[in-house]
Amino acid sequence: MTANSGPYYFRIKLFHRIIHGMVIVSFLGLALTGIPLRFADTWWAGWLSRVLGGYPTTGYLHRVFAVVTFLYFGLHLGEIALRFLKGERGLFWGPYSMVPQPRDFVQLAQHVRWFLGLGPKPVFGRWTYWEKFDYWAVFWGVAVIGASGLFLWFPTFFSHLVPGWMFNVAFIVHSDEALLAVGFIFIVHFFNTHMRPEKFPMDPVIFTGRVSEAELREERPEEYAQLIREGGLEALKADPPPLWMRTFARVVGFGALAIGFFLIFLIALAVLR
Amino acid sequence: MALLLGLFLAGILDAHSAVPQPASSDEECMECHSDADLEKEVGKGRFVSLFVEPAVLRRSPHKKLTCIECHAGISEGPHEEGVEKVRCEGCHKKVRAPLAKSVHATGYRRGSEAPTCVGCHGSHEMQAAEVFTDKGCEGCHREAVDQYRNSAHASGRSRGEKEAPTCQSCHGKGHSILSPADPMSPTYHLTLPKTCAKCHADPDLVKKAKLRSSDIYKLFMDSIHGRALSKSGLLVAAACNDCHGNHDVRRHTDPAARVYRTNIPKTCGECHAGVLSTYWDSAHGQAVKEGNEDAPVCSDCHTAHQIRRVEMDPWKLQIIQECGTCHEESLQTYRDTFHGQVTALGFTRVARCSDCHGSHEIFPLSDPRSTLSAGRIVATCKQCHSGATAAFTKYHPHANYREKGKYPILYYTYWSMTILLWGVLGFFGLHTVLWFPRSLRERIRRARR
Repeated sequence: MTANSGPYYFRIKLFHRIIHGMVIVSFLGLALTGIPLRFADTWWAGWLSRVLGGYPTTGYLHRVFAVVTFLYFGLHLGEIALRFLKGERGLFWGPYSMVPQPRDFVQLAQHVRWFLGLGPKPVFGRWTYWEKFDYWAVFWGVAVIGASGLFLWFPTFFSHLVPGWMFNVAFIVHSDEALLAVGFIFIVHFFNTHMRPEKFPMDPVIFTGRVSEAELREERPEEYAQLIREGGLEALKADPPPLWMRTFARVVGFGALAIGFFLIFLIALAVLR
Repeated sequence: MALLLGLFLAGILDAHSAVPQPASSDEECMECHSDADLEKEVGKGRFVSLFVEPAVLRRSPHKKLTCIECHAGISEGPHEEGVEKVRCEGCHKKVRAPLAKSVHATGYRRGSEAPTCVGCHGSHEMQAAEVFTDKGCEGCHREAVDQYRNSAHASGRSRGEKEAPTCQSCHGKGHSILSPADPMSPTYHLTLPKTCAKCHADPDLVKKAKLRSSDIYKLFMDSIHGRALSKSGLLVAAACNDCHGNHDVRRHTDPAARVYRTNIPKTCGECHAGVLSTYWDSAHGQAVKEGNEDAPVCSDCHTAHQIRRVEMDPWKLQIIQECGTCHEESLQTYRDTFHGQVTALGFTRVARCSDCHGSHEIFPLSDPRSTLSAGRIVATCKQCHSGATAAFTKYHPHANYREKGKYPILYYTYWSMTILLWGVLGFFGLHTVLWFPRSLRERIRRARR
């Protein structure tokens, strides 16, 4: 958290912060209760499972967090549908859209060039390509893990629709895709969003919803320029995040980071053994 | 009874003290009794020898006694009339009390063929107590002694192991031997394990005599059999002898042993008769019958001494590994599934080997008696998955996604998922590795400014 004085602007609205809160809680819950199964042959898996209540308690918890996941997925789709029906423009294309666009690929290439010291840093807008990837990773992950998870949750019901060996397929898909999600969120997302030197040790924007003017100008010059140009900046003006909110962000954020790194550490132990 | 015996013994003493001064010397006795043909008719056509071999007498601990010190009541020889019975108790006073309670004395009083002193110790050929082993017992207990002589205990003794047991080591000291039905007897069913433990739980002796681990007593007492004996006091529960035999205790490596690998089913089946008949029919039982020594017998799954209740979690989990010692690939593929993962974590509420395959009644899948045969598999799955259908049973509980030929869909699913997994993590991993130093440098440069 950089101590920036000066004006603050809203970046993430409350509804999306709540949705992301649901993502954090359910994802950590699903990972904690699911990972021991995947690494059942390690010494720590039985221990972790027992700490969380053991089977079948962990199974019930996993399903409760799955319901939370389906809930936020539904809320999100509902919001998109509502905004679409209200005639909002730029939802599926343009600088405010989450849909990958040619410039995202260009910016990825430019960014890598900058990593190598071969060119300037790209001029990012409201959503960078890695933020879009995070978004679609969750979107795809929930769809794939969610669907295969439902299969495995209600096998006798689905056996009327598909042959039994589909559960073998669903099991592999659920397990591998979940491991990918865990690896991606706890390594890539955590680094890209919180751990990189500009943000270290965490970026609280997803909890506070606010960014300072300096941050906005520097990190998203394109969006800033557009807001100045189109005069939308004033409408986004916010009070600085109050102390309770910053404390909340710290506690929840560091808590989530700790659980994530802890799981990655355990997985690394299992994979590298 | 005790009173009767007391009177009886008192009579002996009186008779002894009433003996007149010796009128006959040994030489006088031997005048007749050194005749090897001397005999006496004791019934119609039945004769007993009255010959006394002097050399035998000289080897006996009684060699310093004169004839009439034992054979009282003979005033003058040659004596045609019957002689009094020899009363050993006159000198061996300490023997009286324990003997009065022993199974031999009670048998004697009941008029059975229970032995007198001479029955065990011999008469003129009497030997010192130290060398008194099984020889004294064989006269009556022929079968038991013969079995004993072929046992591991006797062979230990014949190798010169002083600690190897003789009859008395288990049944009690000579004169106080009690019936195994007597709760005070060391061979009483509920007491027997403790008696065996005198040697088999003694770490020094175990090491010296190369016995199996000294833990077996502890393990046994904690087992379902041991608890049934010690906690519930069940006479029907197996004690050591029920599996290992009474007198014919043999090493488990001896093909004649009751606990030799291929004899184990029969031994356990003496009590667990219902299980045995099921087991003999099963794939495993058939294999054992055909002489396959690798096929599982009772003790492979239930262990030998620490037999546990099969409802307990530790056993339920351990048994999976046990099946896997032969069915290696099945165990590996089981561990790839939800069932196998949950049990690997230490929980038992999901299907284990026996839940699907059965336990004693395991048959090849092709056998209609198998719980997984086409006709029965739905019912088997339904035990847990109440709504299971024929399509549901097409699930592969032992699918091997590494096998391209047999499970092509799973094989390609697994590889696509793996490529996706490492592709994404690899790409963004590299992205991160490149990003980090660049950002750090930028940050440091700005801080300097």
